[in-house]
This record gives sequence, structure tokens and C-alpha cells, in this order.
Amino acid sequence: MPDDSSLRTRALRVTALTRHNLLLRRRDPANLITYVITPMVLIALFKPVLTRLMPYGGTAQDVTGMLVLTSTLTLQIVGMSLLSERTWRTWEMLRSTPATAAELLIGKALPVLAVLLLQQVVVIGYGVAVAGLRMSGLPVLLLLALLVWSITLLAAGSLLATLVRSHSQLTVLTDIGAIVLSTLAGALLPLSMMPSIARHIAPASPGYWAISMLKAAIRGDAAGTLAPAAILGGIALVAGAIACMRLRRGLALLRS
Amino acid sequence: MLEAIGLVKRYGQVTALDGFTLSVAPGEITGLVGHNGAGKTTFTRIVAGLAAPDAGHITVAGLAPRRAARLIGVAPQEISLYPAVTVRESLCMFGGLHGLRRKSLAAAIGEVSDALCLGGFLDTRIASLSGGQQRRAQAAVALLHRPPLVLLDEPTAGVDPQTRRALLAALRQRAADGAAIVYTTHYLPELADLQATLAVARGGRIIARGTAQQLMAGLPGQITLDLGDEVLTVPATDTAATLAQLLTTINKPLRGVSVTEPSLDDLYQAVASHA
Repeated sequence: MPDDSSLRTRALRVTALTRHNLLLRRRDPANLITYVITPMVLIALFKPVLTRLMPYGGTAQDVTGMLVLTSTLTLQIVGMSLLSERTWRTWEMLRSTPATAAELLIGKALPVLAVLLLQQVVVIGYGVAVAGLRMSGLPVLLLLALLVWSITLLAAGSLLATLVRSHSQLTVLTDIGAIVLSTLAGALLPLSMMPSIARHIAPASPGYWAISMLKAAIRGDAAGTLAPAAILGGIALVAGAIACMRLRRGLALLRS
Repeated sequence: MLEAIGLVKRYGQVTALDGFTLSVAPGEITGLVGHNGAGKTTFTRIVAGLAAPDAGHITVAGLAPRRAARLIGVAPQEISLYPAVTVRESLCMFGGLHGLRRKSLAAAIGEVSDALCLGGFLDTRIASLSGGQQRRAQAAVALLHRPPLVLLDEPTAGVDPQTRRALLAALRQRAADGAAIVYTTHYLPELADLQATLAVARGGRIIARGTAQQLMAGLPGQITLDLGDEVLTVPATDTAATLAQLLTTINKPLRGVSVTEPSLDDLYQAVASHA
């Protein structure tokens, strides 16, 4: 009998799971298409306003703001990918195989992370190619920022999926939460134009740190990128740890 | 292959298993029967490593269930497959998790496809299949990696006769090849088809265990005598002796005689009601 715990066997199981979850994502591309098209339209619509309001940095505000707003909505993709396992009753089938909880989570997370990154890279690419966003920093710094934000979304979405009891609850939470938190973070309008109370509570929104991080990465400010990245990393760590603990219990807490 | 001794499992105030003891040998098909709430599904979940007992001891081939996952094939009561992927894609994924690769995986898929007649819909998405086809696909996942222990929880619920025949034939073959099979069902005639030993569960424990012949010994059959103006029905443990005695004592002309041997249903009713 092959050794179930050998590194090679584990890697092969994660590969099988990742391939399968990528297939699931390919079979249901509707959300991704929505979250790629929507920011493109919003960037085009808001650009004239924002560049008039902010002669310097208006395009960066426009692209990063719309990216954060729509990428926060992708929390729904993360949450649905986990909640669907309950709807289909497939989580227990997976748990009855030799795959460990960690392998199941990695196999589930990698394709979703790829989707989140893809959405953000496409939006940034559109910003550069069409909206006239000027990149002063190294692409690797921006990629790092996008990766950190994607991991934060992945962790937050996973936690949400373990807290809600149904798809409709998840939809309500992600739609309202994403729009409110992103607006508070300054995704639609720069914080300087928002009421002072909004400016005071903005740092409570992860989106605030994401916009700061992305703007800094675009202008090539490494220190300005890494500080908010560290805060987002901390949020991701806490949310991810709680989500993993709950998921290890086999989504048992998600009884409807 | 499977040894469960004195399993106890509680969910809050509810005791799902209360000293559940069951052994299944290699090559043996055990029909696990009992009313809803008897503990059958909880037991199946514990064997599959999906739940841990609060007390008692369980091993699969000498290993704790979680460590024996590769040795176990599971088909739960409800369809538990990804609707958006095809049967072949499902088999590839679950086969991959059980360590099957390329040639061995292709061979295993070919084998279960033949055994369960999946060929016509192997490349059809699960969501597009009929209920019976989905059941066959789910059983195929359980049998794919040739596990020495197969757990099937009501695998023929709501299926057509063709699916039932295909599944029972595949299980008989697997048992002949040495697999231990735990088959939970409410359809007792299937267990006769499978020549299964019986384990009757009630209140979270096994209350009767043995072959159908062993358990039915002493269970009354029924003799029906048609006497023209009346029909006489007499329960009889030894039907031949009782019939002989009846024939010597009846003074009326006899129009007809029928002898009904006890069925598995009778056995189940008797055991469940007297335990």
C-alpha cells in the first residue's frame, strides 16, 4: 500500500484537487466575467469626474478604487466555492478520502486565489492600457500588493462562508458589506472629499489599506506598500486561522 | 476487516449509538437493516472516519478508520457528487485522491464503467443524469479504487430495476474477490439476492446477527387451508409436521393447501418488535 503521508502522495492529491476545482471554476465563469467587466465600465465612467477632481492621481484613484470595490465583491466567489460543497454534499465525500483537511483546503484555495489574482491583473492591465494609468513602480511590487490583497479576500471569504448559513445570507453580506466597506475605504470618492466621520472610520475597512497599498505600489513606494500589506497580512492571518479551524470541523457548524 | 465493539455516539441529548458491535469478514456482505434512527448512518459515518465515537473501539484492517481511508469506499445515502462535472471527471478526481494515476486510473474507470454499465453516460455531466444513473455514478466512486471495505448506505433507494441488478451484480463480484461490504437498506429482498448476512439495528445497537437461515430458524411460517366454506390460516414453525397433524384432524373436504415460509420481512418485524 502506498504511503499516504509521503510528500509526493500529498502533492499528487493536492494536484488532483486543484485541477478539479479549476474545472469547477471554468464551468461557472459568470461571476468572474461580471467582476471583470463591471470595473472596466466603472473606471471608464468615473475617470472624467475623478481626473477633474484630482488633477494629480485621479486615474490611480479611479483604477485602484474600482479594483478594490469589485474585488471585494469577489468574496462571493470565495464563499460560494465553499458553501457549494455543502449544497452538493461533497465535503464529506472528500473527507472520506485519504486527503487531509489541509490538502483539501489548499486544493480548494489555490484555484480561487488564481481567479482573484486574474480579476485584479486584468483590471490593472485595463487601467494601464485603456484608462491611461501610469506605473512608476516595479511590476513585482504591484504583483506583491495584488497577491496580498487576494490572500486577504480569500481568508475573509472563507471565514464568511463558515459563518453564514445559506447562499442568500452570503450574497446579502458580501453585496452590502463590499459596497459599504469599499465606499468607506474611499473606493468611489477620495477620502479627502468625504465627511470627516468617514475619514475617521475608514482605517477600519480592509479596503482602505488595500487602496493605500495599491496606490503606493503604482507610484513605486516600497515602504508605503509594505506597511499596509503587513496590516492586511495580519487580517488575513486571523481570518484564515478562524476559517481553517471551522472548516477542519467539516463545515459542521454550517447546519441550515 | 471491520471490527466495531461497543460504539457509543451521542449528539447532545440524543444517543445515536449505544453499544453498537459489528464485525464483517473479508468476502462477507453484511446487510445492515433497521428502522430510521436505528443508528445505521451514524455507524457508517464512524467507519468512514467522518465522525468519532464517544466510546468503544473500531478498526478497519487493524487501523483506525481515518488511517484506513484508502481501504474504504463510501457511497452515502444522498447523492454527493459535483453536478457540473461529468462522471469521468468525478471518477478521475476521487481516483486521484485515492492514489490512482494515469494507466491504473484509466483501467479502474474502465472496470467500474463495465460493471455498473456507465458507458452510455460516462462523459455526461452529473446534473444531466437521471436519479438511477447518479446512483450508479456514486457507487462507481465507492468501488473505483477497489477498496477492501465498501460502505453503501441505501444505494438503491428510488432506482430502476436495471440499476439495482447492475449494482447487486457488481457487489457480488467484489465480495467474491474478497471485499467486505456493509450494505444498508430497507429493501430486504436485495439482501437475499446478495446472500448477505444480516445485522439488525435498533436503538443504536445490533439486536440480531447471523445468516438469514440462522435467524429465521424458529420463525413461524404460515399454512393456509382452503376448506370450501372457510379458509384456515395456521402459523407453524415446523410447517411439515404441523401440516401432517392438521390433515389428520380436519374432517372437511380440502380444496387447497398453501405453505408460506417466513420472509426476511417477517424476520425483521419479529426481531425488531421483540427486542
